[in-house]
Amino acid sequence: MGARRDVVVALLLLMAMAVLSYSAVASGFASGSLRPLGAEYLERAASTPEVVTAIVWNYRGFDTLFETFVFFLAIAGTLSVLRLSSRQEREVRRNEEREPHRKMDEIVRVITKLVVVAIVAVSASIAIHGQLTPGGGFQAGSAMAVASLLLFVVFSKFVLERSGLTLRHTLTAYAAGLAVILVTVFLPVLMGGHLLQIDLLPGESGLLSLDVGEYTAVTFGFLSVFLVLGISEWIFKGVLREEVK
Amino acid sequence: MIEFHLTVLAIVVSFGFVFSYLAMKEHDLLKALALSSVQSTFFALGFYVLAAPDIVLAYLAIAVGAYTALMILAISKTERFEVGK
Repeated sequence: MGARRDVVVALLLLMAMAVLSYSAVASGFASGSLRPLGAEYLERAASTPEVVTAIVWNYRGFDTLFETFVFFLAIAGTLSVLRLSSRQEREVRRNEEREPHRKMDEIVRVITKLVVVAIVAVSASIAIHGQLTPGGGFQAGSAMAVASLLLFVVFSKFVLERSGLTLRHTLTAYAAGLAVILVTVFLPVLMGGHLLQIDLLPGESGLLSLDVGEYTAVTFGFLSVFLVLGISEWIFKGVLREEVK
Repeated sequence: MIEFHLTVLAIVVSFGFVFSYLAMKEHDLLKALALSSVQSTFFALGFYVLAAPDIVLAYLAIAVGAYTALMILAISKTERFEVGK
C-alpha cells in the first residue's frame, strides 16, 4: 500500500514538472505588453517602474501600513502572553544551560549553512529591489524568517543567542524597523504633503526605506516570537509554577 | 494563449487538491504536514501562472516555511499519530 502510493506520488510530481517545464519553454508565462490598467497606475505613481509596488504603496499605502500594525499587535500579544521578568529570564537561562546539548548530523549542518547564505542573499535582494521587481519588505522578511527558523531547528536557539541575537536585541531591531516605517510615513507631512505621500521624498528613497523598514520589522518580529516559543516546555512550566506560588 | 495558462492552472490546482486530500487522510501528523506543504507549493505555482509573483514570494515563505515550522512545534507538544476513526 505504502510503496504503491509512493510510486503514484512520484509519477504525479514528474508529470507536473514535465507539464510546467514544457509550458515555461513553449510559451513563457509573462506576456510582453503592459495592460492599459497597469500603464495608467505607472503613469500616476511616484518613481517606481513596478506596477504592483506602485499600487501597493501609492494607492493602497494605508492597507500595507495597517497590515504592519496588525503584525505588531500579534507580536505584542504573543510577547505579553509569554512574558518573562528579568529574574525569570535568568532562571530560564540557568535551566537551559543544564539541558543536554544535541547536535544534528554533519551533512544537515553543512547543507543548512549553504542554504541559509542563499536565503539571506535572496531575501536581501527581494527587499532592496522591492521598488523595481516583484516583492518587497514583507515577502523578503518572511523569507528571512525561514532562514532564522532553519538555523533554529538545525543548530538550536543557543547558537543564535550566543551570536548576539537574544530576545532583547531582536526586539530592539524590530522597533528600529517600525521606526523607519513611521518616519517615512510622517516625513511627507513635515514637507507640506499628506501622510504617506512618498513621492515628495527624493527619487525612490521613500519606497526603498519603506521596504527596508518592513524587511527589518518582519524578520526580527518573527525571530522574537520564535525565540520565545523556543523555550523548552518544562522550563517554562517551572517558571510559571514559581510565579503562581 | 489564455487557454494554455488556464490549462496549466487547472492542472496545478488539481495536484494541490490531490495533496490536500492525502494530507487529510494521513494519520501521521508529520507526514500530513509534509503533504500539505507540497500542496502549498502547487498553489504557489498556481499564483505564478496567475501572474502574481508578489504573492508567490510571500506564500512560499509563509506556507512552506513558517507555517510548517509552527505546526511542527505544535505537534511536538502533542502526539505524532492521530488515533481513532
